[in-house]
Amino acid sequence: MDEPMIVRPEGLYCPAGGFFIDPRGRVDKALVTHAHSDHARPGHGKYLVSEGCLPLLKLRLGQKIQAEGIAYGKVCKIGDAHVSFHPAGHILGSSQIRVEVGGRVWVVSGDYKPQPDRSCEAFELVKCDVFVSECTFGLPVYRWQKEEIIHQQINAWWQENVEAGRPSMLFAYSLGKAQRLLRGLDSSIGPIFAHGAIHPFLPVYEKCGVVFPKVQKPKEGSGEWAGSMIVAPPAVEDAGWTRRFKGASRGFASGWMAVRGARRRRNLDRGFVLSDHADWSGLLEVIEGTGAECVKLTHGNGEPLARYLQERGVNASMLDGSGERMGEE
Amino acid sequence: MARESVWEKSRCEKMKGFSELFHDLDEMIKTGERITRMVKYFEDAHEEDASWASWFLAGNRIKGVVKTGQLREWASQRSGWPVWLIDECYERVGDLAETLSLLIGGNKEAAPTSLSEVVREILLPLAHADRSEKAESLKRAWDRLRPMDLLPFHKLLTGGFRIGVSRGNLCKALAEVGQVDPAIIAQRISGDWDPGIRKFEQIVGEERPEDSWCRPFPFCLASPLQKEPETLGDLNDWWVEWKWDGIRCQFLNEENGGLLWTRGDESVGESFPELLNLSPHLPAGLAIDGEILAWGPEGMRPFSRLQKRLGRKQPGPSILKKEPVRFMAYDLLRMEGVDMRTLPFLDRRKRLQSILEELPGGFPLQLSMPVESTDWEKLAKKREESRDRGVEGLMLKRRDSVYSTGRVKGDWYKWKVDPYVADMVVVGAQLGHGKRANIYSDYTLAVLDQQGEMVTVAKAYSGLSDVELKEVDRYVRKNVTGKFGPVRSVRPGIVFEVAFEGARSSGRHKSGIALRFPRIQRWRKDKKPEEVDTLENLLGYARMGERAREDGTKTDDAGNLLLF
Repeated sequence: MDEPMIVRPEGLYCPAGGFFIDPRGRVDKALVTHAHSDHARPGHGKYLVSEGCLPLLKLRLGQKIQAEGIAYGKVCKIGDAHVSFHPAGHILGSSQIRVEVGGRVWVVSGDYKPQPDRSCEAFELVKCDVFVSECTFGLPVYRWQKEEIIHQQINAWWQENVEAGRPSMLFAYSLGKAQRLLRGLDSSIGPIFAHGAIHPFLPVYEKCGVVFPKVQKPKEGSGEWAGSMIVAPPAVEDAGWTRRFKGASRGFASGWMAVRGARRRRNLDRGFVLSDHADWSGLLEVIEGTGAECVKLTHGNGEPLARYLQERGVNASMLDGSGERMGEE
Repeated sequence: MARESVWEKSRCEKMKGFSELFHDLDEMIKTGERITRMVKYFEDAHEEDASWASWFLAGNRIKGVVKTGQLREWASQRSGWPVWLIDECYERVGDLAETLSLLIGGNKEAAPTSLSEVVREILLPLAHADRSEKAESLKRAWDRLRPMDLLPFHKLLTGGFRIGVSRGNLCKALAEVGQVDPAIIAQRISGDWDPGIRKFEQIVGEERPEDSWCRPFPFCLASPLQKEPETLGDLNDWWVEWKWDGIRCQFLNEENGGLLWTRGDESVGESFPELLNLSPHLPAGLAIDGEILAWGPEGMRPFSRLQKRLGRKQPGPSILKKEPVRFMAYDLLRMEGVDMRTLPFLDRRKRLQSILEELPGGFPLQLSMPVESTDWEKLAKKREESRDRGVEGLMLKRRDSVYSTGRVKGDWYKWKVDPYVADMVVVGAQLGHGKRANIYSDYTLAVLDQQGEMVTVAKAYSGLSDVELKEVDRYVRKNVTGKFGPVRSVRPGIVFEVAFEGARSSGRHKSGIALRFPRIQRWRKDKKPEEVDTLENLLGYARMGERAREDGTKTDDAGNLLLF
């Protein structure tokens, strides 16, 4: 039987619609699940994304790209394919993309999490025949706690640092995780600063109803940082930019922090286990919930999850051409 | 300092238990913070808990509690995940105790359990239980422990209790608690002691003289000489000896017999009965620092011969005859129960000499003799004899130096001969443990044989910077060609300069050669895999080592290396 989607060197391709999903290289038509750089790449002819994703995509790839936003759930026809976008709960505007050709349905998940996150749209379970699932955290050692608990941990750590008279530096990916963290900070503890890479996204989030505390830009050399919270992307972890925050306690918020080795390797004071991906039980729950007869895993070290699903009678395998990867969150 | 104490207060008022201590120590990066945190724990903790905590933090473990294979099986039953999945998790996490803790989860409603309760009610009974009792009591343990207790509990269960607290820092903390000299604490927590019997007060309390006779002193360590020897000043201020290639040991003698303690705080006397037999001929209350060497009728033998005696308790008469050993004494630490360590080195040596002179001849105990020289230049020439003599180089000790605890710069130096080096290519990689978990940081290294094929000669995992490690990790992930258990074979592309102390032929390795202390010295980005060293070269080093020890030995005439 002809499948609606096939794998090409550039990525997943729909012959009936002539489009790719999250492709590499340069293609004519690209449907993009979300604005992280390992999914939304520059150089394509036309982009189709969710409405919420559109302004973020333009911030990342430039205002001049040809891109269109479509409302969640609205079905459009591309060639012989019926396509719709559904919230993935990963970051603001992130989507799973549903593709139906001749009655057969594929859902390409992009990155997703079923756990609640008050900085983006809630994950929606979409029934399908074939589910292309990410599996970044495809091992049972990855189990997330509720985000409120992690926000409390971060605020408590910040409070401790205030009492000790030192700044708090919290590293987090600039799009998605940083906004999720900023939303959860308790501004009564102290002043909040964010690295310049984080700021442009804030108005987009605010427009969608996410309420932030007051977030400032740290100015050069403006001396006293004790007691402040500074949120910055991990890229500047070892850069000169961080040097001005003398004596700062350093934390990192990521699903990888569930394992101590990951924290110790980075020489961090604290690791906060907060992820924008599904944890192990989240993956199992969603995969089962889709009712898919066939599951294809991508984005991660998916062999253990594939084997586990097979042992439970699910037709699961790795999606061809997807290698080991540790991406943005 | 003021900031520190405010912070400590807010944390410690909430936290009193051992699990809290464990997690705090695990998270803290700064040594000073860790010591302060331990002091706080020892001051707050119940006496029995404090005793056990000292014992565990000193690196001791309760042996034979549970086999890791069984543990994985029971964890599988408990969690519902198949054993293979638990193994996959272990490979990712790089730490079995942590893996199990993440999978088991713990009981959120449970009340805190004290460390001594865990030891008395769970760990000690486990050590004596049969298989099914073990499974049962482990299940009960998992029911009664909080999530935060699991990691320290599993660490105690599986033995490896490394959380970045060195013995020296533990001593500093205990010394602060008891207001005693850290050296005395170091001695009290050395060796084999039972925290169920020894009260915490005996660890941090005032010194009593007879406590100490059967416990080793912390070893005085030499720093590597990293500058020109002339900068050390007048050669006449220095005592020079060969640096022996054996097992560093303290020989202790008390009324009831002798004891041999290694630097790893292991009591190895049982493996060397001919040395313990010296005890009646030596005065009680004696402690000598020296080296156990393999020593035949022809003189000193290579270290590899000594390995035949290691780990073999109560050796039989044939091996005792075939692989004899000797204790090379070079320092006196205690005499008639009196600590000699603060005397100048030369005084200690004179006393040591007079004790040994009274021994009848033919005993396997001798004094390490000085290497005499009139100036540094001549001494440097002598040092070049090291490989031929089968020693590692020279030891330089300031003649008036005290016997200090640990590595104190300036008094003792080891002036080793340069290591051998060879360029090798990475052909395999494995995920590391601890700080390097989930990073390909353990490498299998190869050189070229006569046919130009790559042949594995060593495994090494140190010597790279964090940045380099990450870069190699990325390369490995992109160039995996196969999977053999935890080892990934890797497309040859990365060349390292590897230093090693020696080579010997080995029947166990396919290459026929085993290297001693291989470690990565630097990354040769300028070299291609086909430019690495040849096996023949390495075999040449092995032969050199062999020839060096030939004086009078029965070496195979055919030049055969399979002597040992």
